[in-house]
Amino acid sequence: MSQVAYINNRPYEYQNGETILNFVRRIKEKRNAIPTLCDAPNLEPFGSCRVCSVEVALAQDGPTRTVASCHTPVGTGQYIYTDSQSVQKLRKNIIELVLTDHPMDCLTCEVNGNCELQDVAAQVGIRKVRYPAGKNHLDRKKDLSHPYMTSDLSKCINCYRCVRACDEVQGQFVLNMSGRGFDNHIIKSSNQTFFESDCVSCGACAQACPTSAISDVFQSKSVHGDKKIQTTCTYCGVGCNLEVSVSNGEILSIQAPYDAEVNQGHTCLKGRYAFKFYNHPDRLKSPLIKKNGEFVPVSWEEAYSFIVDKLTSIKQNFGADAIAGISSARTPNEENYLMQKFIRVVIGTNNIDCCARVCHSPTALGMQRAFGTGAATNSIEDLDYTDCILVIGANPTDAHPVTGAKMKQKFMKGVTSIVIDPRRTELASYATYFLQLRPGTNVALLNMMLYYIITENLVNQSFVDTRTEGYLDFKNQILALDMDELSKITGVSKDLVKKASVAYGSAKAAMEFHGLGVTEHSQGTFAIQLIADLILLTGNVGRKGVGMNPLRGQNNVQGAADMGAQPHQGAGYLDVTNPEINQRYNAFYGAKVPSKIGYKIPEMFDAAIAGDLKALWIIGEDVVQTDPNTQKVIKALTNLDLLIVSEIFMTETSKYATVILPSSSFLEKEGTFTNGERRIQKVNKIVEPIEGTMPDGVQIIEVMNRMGYAQPAYSADTMLKEISQIVPFFAGVTWDRLGTMGLQWPVKPDGEDTKLLHTETFTRGKGSFANFDFVESHEIETYGKDYPYIITTNRELEHYNCGTMTRRTGNVAILTEDVLLINPADAAKELINDGDFVCVESPRGKVDIKAKITDEVLPGILSSTFHFPEIMLNNITSDEHCSEAKCPEYKVVSCKIRKSKGKYKKEMEAKFAS
Amino acid sequence: MSKKLLLQHIDVPGINTYEVYRKQGGYKAVEKALKEMTADQILEEVKTSGLRGRGGAGFPTGMKWSFLAKPEGVARYLVCNADESEPGTFKDRYLMEKIPHLLIEGMIASSFALGANTAYIYIRGEYFYVHRILENAIKEAYANGWLGKNILGTGYDLDLYMQIGAGAYICGEETALLESLEGKRGNPRIKPPFPAVAGLWGRPTVVNNVETIAAVVPIINEGGANYANIGVGKSTGTKLISASGHINKPGVYEIELGLPVEEFIYSDQYCGGIRNGKELKAVVAGGSSVPILPKELILKTAAGEPRLMSYESLGDGGFQTGTMLGSGGFIVMDEDTSIVKNLYTFSRFYHHESCGQCSPCREGTGWMEKILKKIISGNGTLSDVDLLWDIQSKIEGKTICPLGEAAAWPVAAAIRHFRKEFEEYVTNPQNIVDVKHYYRVNNLAAV
Repeated sequence: MSQVAYINNRPYEYQNGETILNFVRRIKEKRNAIPTLCDAPNLEPFGSCRVCSVEVALAQDGPTRTVASCHTPVGTGQYIYTDSQSVQKLRKNIIELVLTDHPMDCLTCEVNGNCELQDVAAQVGIRKVRYPAGKNHLDRKKDLSHPYMTSDLSKCINCYRCVRACDEVQGQFVLNMSGRGFDNHIIKSSNQTFFESDCVSCGACAQACPTSAISDVFQSKSVHGDKKIQTTCTYCGVGCNLEVSVSNGEILSIQAPYDAEVNQGHTCLKGRYAFKFYNHPDRLKSPLIKKNGEFVPVSWEEAYSFIVDKLTSIKQNFGADAIAGISSARTPNEENYLMQKFIRVVIGTNNIDCCARVCHSPTALGMQRAFGTGAATNSIEDLDYTDCILVIGANPTDAHPVTGAKMKQKFMKGVTSIVIDPRRTELASYATYFLQLRPGTNVALLNMMLYYIITENLVNQSFVDTRTEGYLDFKNQILALDMDELSKITGVSKDLVKKASVAYGSAKAAMEFHGLGVTEHSQGTFAIQLIADLILLTGNVGRKGVGMNPLRGQNNVQGAADMGAQPHQGAGYLDVTNPEINQRYNAFYGAKVPSKIGYKIPEMFDAAIAGDLKALWIIGEDVVQTDPNTQKVIKALTNLDLLIVSEIFMTETSKYATVILPSSSFLEKEGTFTNGERRIQKVNKIVEPIEGTMPDGVQIIEVMNRMGYAQPAYSADTMLKEISQIVPFFAGVTWDRLGTMGLQWPVKPDGEDTKLLHTETFTRGKGSFANFDFVESHEIETYGKDYPYIITTNRELEHYNCGTMTRRTGNVAILTEDVLLINPADAAKELINDGDFVCVESPRGKVDIKAKITDEVLPGILSSTFHFPEIMLNNITSDEHCSEAKCPEYKVVSCKIRKSKGKYKKEMEAKFAS
Repeated sequence: MSKKLLLQHIDVPGINTYEVYRKQGGYKAVEKALKEMTADQILEEVKTSGLRGRGGAGFPTGMKWSFLAKPEGVARYLVCNADESEPGTFKDRYLMEKIPHLLIEGMIASSFALGANTAYIYIRGEYFYVHRILENAIKEAYANGWLGKNILGTGYDLDLYMQIGAGAYICGEETALLESLEGKRGNPRIKPPFPAVAGLWGRPTVVNNVETIAAVVPIINEGGANYANIGVGKSTGTKLISASGHINKPGVYEIELGLPVEEFIYSDQYCGGIRNGKELKAVVAGGSSVPILPKELILKTAAGEPRLMSYESLGDGGFQTGTMLGSGGFIVMDEDTSIVKNLYTFSRFYHHESCGQCSPCREGTGWMEKILKKIISGNGTLSDVDLLWDIQSKIEGKTICPLGEAAAWPVAAAIRHFRKEFEEYVTNPQNIVDVKHYYRVNNLAAV
């Protein structure tokens, strides 16, 4: 290959399609040879600052042309001069010109020492500005309207990096350039403030800005911090890599590293800005024991003794099965592993579960049945290799913002996209096909898609023949379905479903994503298996850009299940009823593990109400606010003899505790989180635990030791050593090997990780087809007549689940309350105006919520969130569960509505007024 | 009398209507193209004709067309650049206003040749009344079956849309035009990719000037070879020249390329000589952005050859002693003109029109204006002239689009050829007469 170009007369080999800038930067000693201003690692070349100009000749010292290196491709035989006198002069003049309209207050500027303009000015050697003082923009007003985002556009150098970050990274199009030439200035939305604009506070612009023209209240770009530590975000299942800046043991700010494989320099307002909960005054700082109905601070010693005594006596009197644990999908793998080990080995029961139960348990079960492994088959990076994106029951731009933003970019760039959702989500409005079905009819709709894939001859026959089983039976049953009937059930026209099916079936590589809109249904597991059918039918698995990819809700919900925090499978998804496996566990743990399947979360509540369950230890989960049918959950908790809650704040659940153990947050401890693409990533201790708190893992070990099991002291390293010996797909995981980017399981003993699952064969051998007919939800069957509306729950970008953390950050100033989405037709019918309080009543109870009139939902459908305890939406959600995985049916709740009146209205108004 | 190919029927009453235009032989080129020729044959004729882009750059049209990528199943577009905004240039307006069907005819034949089923005319926003004329002509063309589905029963479909600009000079730059056409801010795009590969909506696109597209009509009617017979050397065919300034007969003239500049200025057939019997001082030959030339260099080349109205002859000598044909905006200045004040006017324009994307142009155009203002208000110094030179040299060729060049060249040329005048301004400011624009300046001898 003669791909050689010359840099300052020395030959180097270049790569195809490389720009001159990347070519020069790739050569180590020339990394900083070319200064830039408008270039940024995660943005497309733009070529506006021209500081990166170089001279290019076609012969050594031949006649040259000046080109911007950032967007000019390298060509064979080019002689590139990076610092000829002419380009030096050019750069100098550009910076001089820029400085004529830039305040010279460097010493007091927040980015002093970390300002790219400053660096470039120093690099090109500006000593004076030849231009006299003239008209300038130094009097531009600062914008401090927003809880996070700030701007001081007097410092703007018109490099467009913020505009491009907003467009290319987040896809929000809030920032724009207005005016022309010298009058060029950045505006937000229609020339509004940050707060009034459509800004989603992702902070991409602030990170992209080379000066402090756009920044944030934490002054994230300042060099004030004394160290930067990388960790993994604690919010959603995307698992963004974060870089935390610390000074004197206090967290200053968070940025997203550009080289992060997961998030490439991007993250959302939760990851970047919602960290101030960690030292909030509300943090629990002492163990508390409820004495005569009041929580009394006690010493750790007293709390542990109390717990150990109580657990021991309950175990003696009622047996091990009267005790249960709910582990947390928010805590690291190591702590989840310890919790299930404690419950199984020390207590001696399989009554261990985690919040995967209430979100993706049907995914895990359904995918295990179809493929053999209940985890994403592909990686998020595969979005770059796909021709068709199918999103079912997920709202990633709100719930998984970084992945959502990537999808939105693909949607906007014309990748065929199909969204199936009862709500017109942001992605739906960009989708090629939007199938707005009635909540609870996924199974019917998926059956229609399967039907059309078969009838339109889009079955990948060779894949079906070689890699699947049960096709013939499956096909006959599908073909027997009545499309007219299913179309009526779903409310989606046959024609639209057919078009979407053809689009999916004929794509070279089609990638599926789904969220809780699939799982949180009485037929949740069946819907998952039907999605798997779709994938098997079209052969969309086992290669790049395809697959079935659950968008895992919580940061470590994948890990919690991997570690065995579920009642039927131990660490590593091994069957607890299998004697052979149990022998392995026995030998490894040095104690006998139980072989009877334990309670799932909803069964724990039933058992507590029935008096069979006496003690429950909940780690980091607010079941009262977030599990369905609040009053029933409260009844169950109050019926317990012992409720231990490990928490960072006083929650709706911890109010009912017997003992509260104050936990340390993810910023105060070490371990690993596993994201939705099976990536095990390091959580590093950023600061010391807030005084008076203990990591959950330490709490568990203290109790284990006191109950007679010798568990060594906690460290992520030693815990991973233990886990890697029992969890097969962690075989090669060590703390050191994880590095900064983590590893995707299965990790082989030599440390090689896996981006793609099921490439040659499925974990279970062959992919398994299964048929399921649509069955109307019991909720609708029973109550539909008297409660004619369906309310379906969702999430908002600004808050995370019960909001324990996000409500104690600036996010609460952006989104202040839960609202009820209601179609204009329904609002008119019920005489409800925008902003009115509406009483939503279900057979379980009623809540009063402020109405937001929108056509995001169809008539007859309502939607809301349960982020705020003032509302407690789960007072109305039902007791229905997925028949297979026992995941609650949050998405289909029968209700009736009317305008709130009298007492309630006043109470609610007073609540929000304060 | 030189041959006219575009404006031959311009004086026929009612030529702006479909009936009259058709009676004069209009739309014959479309009939011939669609019924008798293949797309490739038209392309060949255009190549043979030697037609060069009439917007200013003079790039061979046939070659531009042959660069158009033609991937299977992907739409292609023809976009007519009617955003005529170069100071001193008004020939496209004249053509569209007087004989709009000529452009539409050219659009249809060219679109057919390029395999485009959708075409756009992006017209300068300030041409208010021309919008109506053009819209009306498009309506007539649709009504008579020249646009729409199955044109002339040949199975060829074409939809033609007019899009009105919003008053930005930069949108005459083809990629900024495409951005604007897509509904975005008119910032030029970086190249590659070129519009021929990824243009409008990311699809292969040809952008041609109004006059270029109109010229396709006579090329089809009379054959490329006949077209190429007109003109001189590689400057074939006829060219519309917008003549303005201190001449007796300003207006739009269709000339055969190769006409001597001297004849163009002084012949009664064209400009009719300098107004009020004054002496010629300088000419900006191709629109405000091309280098200004003093009398002796515009009439004769540095080598002493008569300067001709052709791409090559006007360009003879490079920018040291030559200039460009450009868009044909021919601005004539008499002996009383202040080159410095005239330059200030130009610089103010470019400063106002810089999109602000590239820092050298955004900041540099502003500083050129400021420094020129300082000079003409009598506060200049000799070092200001050097600074001016320095700034323009840091803009030229250092920006994404040619607006940078357009802003830099007039400054460079004015200083190159009229440096003494600048020096006079800064050394004897008391002699500056306080008038607004390029008018008389006492005691300033012509160079």
